[in-house]
Amino acid sequence: MASLATNLEAQKEPIHVLETDVVIVGGGVAGCLAALGTTEVGARVVICDKCGLLERAGSVGGGTDHFTAVLEEGPEWDTPEYLMSYMPALLEGVADIEAVERLVQGLKPMVHLLEKLGVDFHDPENPDIPYYRHRAFGMPGAYTINFDGTNFKHIIGRSARRAGAKVLERTMVSDLLMVEGRPRGAVAFHIRTGDVYVILGQAVVIATGDANRLGKNASGHAFDSWHFPYNAGEGRAMALRAGARLANMEFVDSTLSPKGYSTQGLNAFVGGGAHFINALGERFMFKYHPDAERGRRSDIINGFITETREGRGPIYCDCTHLPEDEIRRLVNTLGVDRPALPDFFAQKKIDLTKEPFEVCVTEIASVRGGQPFRGSGVHIDKDACSSTPGIFAGGDCSTTSSGIAGATVMGHIAGMNAAHFALSQPKAKPLTSNEKDQIREMLYRPLRLREGISFHAFEDQVRSIVTDYVGYRREEIRMREGLKMLRTLRSQEDRIKAEDYHGVMRVNEARSIRINAEALAVSAIERKETRDGAAHLRLDYPKTDNENELRIIMVEQIGGELRAISRPTGLNPTPPPKKDIS
Amino acid sequence: MPIVIDPKICREGCTICDYFCPGDIIYRISPKESPVVKYQDECWYCGICADNCPVDAITIVFPENMVNCQTDVRTLMGLPAQNVSRS
Ligand SMILES: Cc1cc2nc3c(=O)[nH]c(=O)nc-3n(C[C@H](O)[C@H](O)[C@H](O)COP(=O)(O)OP(=O)(O)OC[C@H]3O[C@@H](n4cnc5c(N)ncnc54)[C@H](O)[C@@H]3O)c2cc1C
Ligand code: SF4
Ligand code: SF4
Repeated sequence: MASLATNLEAQKEPIHVLETDVVIVGGGVAGCLAALGTTEVGARVVICDKCGLLERAGSVGGGTDHFTAVLEEGPEWDTPEYLMSYMPALLEGVADIEAVERLVQGLKPMVHLLEKLGVDFHDPENPDIPYYRHRAFGMPGAYTINFDGTNFKHIIGRSARRAGAKVLERTMVSDLLMVEGRPRGAVAFHIRTGDVYVILGQAVVIATGDANRLGKNASGHAFDSWHFPYNAGEGRAMALRAGARLANMEFVDSTLSPKGYSTQGLNAFVGGGAHFINALGERFMFKYHPDAERGRRSDIINGFITETREGRGPIYCDCTHLPEDEIRRLVNTLGVDRPALPDFFAQKKIDLTKEPFEVCVTEIASVRGGQPFRGSGVHIDKDACSSTPGIFAGGDCSTTSSGIAGATVMGHIAGMNAAHFALSQPKAKPLTSNEKDQIREMLYRPLRLREGISFHAFEDQVRSIVTDYVGYRREEIRMREGLKMLRTLRSQEDRIKAEDYHGVMRVNEARSIRINAEALAVSAIERKETRDGAAHLRLDYPKTDNENELRIIMVEQIGGELRAISRPTGLNPTPPPKKDIS
Repeated sequence: MPIVIDPKICREGCTICDYFCPGDIIYRISPKESPVVKYQDECWYCGICADNCPVDAITIVFPENMVNCQTDVRTLMGLPAQNVSRS
């Protein structure tokens, strides 16, 4: 067997140095709009994504079907002011309200910008109406535009490319380059060839999406996740290492899904009129929300968990009372967000007209605690700036986000402000060849290890700890135990082994998954109450505490350790008088 | 094998599934040989590859523990498993 030294010698992956102004980490929805924002200001930009093609990269590479917007078309509810008057109540008093307002104000101009780029917001089933809009559960107006977004990602990706962004695909950013507390660029590598990229720039936009693979799921396949499993919270991990803060990390997301397959589809089922029933045959969701199945997702999950915990599981989704036509329509729409879902039902040989099917809670993810407009991750202000000057963020990696609408608006703002910042700064200094060699050595250490553990084995440990200690059974003592275990696991990070460059990508993801889990545990311990249904469910503090807990909980890394700090939100979560938001 | 590619149907020179797969799971190294599913256990089961294949050469086959899942749901909530499987 070759010695470590000869292996290193043999593998001298080329290092390419690129000079730009802004580096965008992640080319999903937020990243593409950030690239457009940057080029509008006149700065140079490099955008990196792990996926093979920018036009398909990220959560909605397969397509999308709704966009949430205020359009000022006439109805009373259709103004930013009206929606904002509900916002403290909608977000239960925990949000960065100035940033949320910036997002809401940006929705209408964003719809028009996207239309200019070529997005067609017509609903295929209602082609005569400019926007077919409906009221999503819990919202005070019909803000959701239904449209055929099969090509949505293609259009924004192509636009970013045409605007002059330099695009690096199949390229993972492993870390930011920092000098004296300011960004100097980023380090990236090609996941197939191993070529290393040192991208020098004065500002960075983090747009790496949400964090998945955090908790156990029913099938036991780690990548069988409701959300995009290849978003592993890396941007949040980079932000922490660079001294920036995360926030809202205590809130978790999940959905109900056919047991064995974590997928989109809940909205389609409940929207189509399906009921959830427990093992006793009871339609029980009324106990958890006055609108039953049409309540907030976090209340539905709360209902599922409580029924199961109290011994009334399994829980089923029942469509048998629906007309056959409606069921057929339902089955046809299931494939829009998840093309393989109809195949799943076919292989399971389930006839929705004849029998209910068992549902199950999906794995824990970190997106936005089931809420629109408030996200978990890099803490940003109304300018999409993190707590570290020069580092901006947008989309599901950040604290003010909301599906593709939030990602486009805040991504665009992040790009523009990053460009202004970058142009006001001296150019980033080049690296010495010694520094470059060190970067390569650090990056590819997992490849040169002769012995070690697999990323699967490492991640499985994280998922078990999250599920068993900090998931849906949150109690102080258990969470502290879990946190201790997650911290102990850090010492194993240097032992995760990779077989190829693709594997190095997975090693980096596994490390981010652990640190996202640690941030989750630190924040969940800090919030001593239950809030937002199952988003933060504490058994030892089962009530919402608006006296003491209307605060944003932030996490920062000090000397390698994460710690929580907080500040009051100053919001009043009572809904405006006479307005019903249920 | 979650993703089955029929080499008889797959079109020579096409690389759509390789480029569209978001997880870097499918590799088409040579235009003459059909693509290889290289990291099966990292598949999302999104169906993007099958959906975009111009000649329908790809079938998504869900493994047994997805189609006929026997996991005790309580264990996903940090609760101890019950002795009798409830599914
Ligand atoms: C199947 C599905 C359907 C959905 N449908 C809708 C819908 O109809 N309407 C709606 O509003 N929302 C929808 N959502 C949610 C929506 O997709 C997200 O809110 C939105 O994509 C967030 O944008 P983003 O840019 O933050 O993340 P993404 O669009 O997921 O982009 C993140 C990108 O970062 C890349 N990346 C991550 N880490 C790195 C790294 N270290 N280096 C390089 N690249 C990296 C990833 O490859 C990815 O391309 C859906 C989500 C899913 C999964
Ligand atoms: S189903 Fe999705 S993740 Fe799996 S191989 Fe096809 S495109 Fe890739
Ligand atoms: S998309 Fe279909 S035709 Fe094209 S390479 Fe893949 S399997 Fe072959």
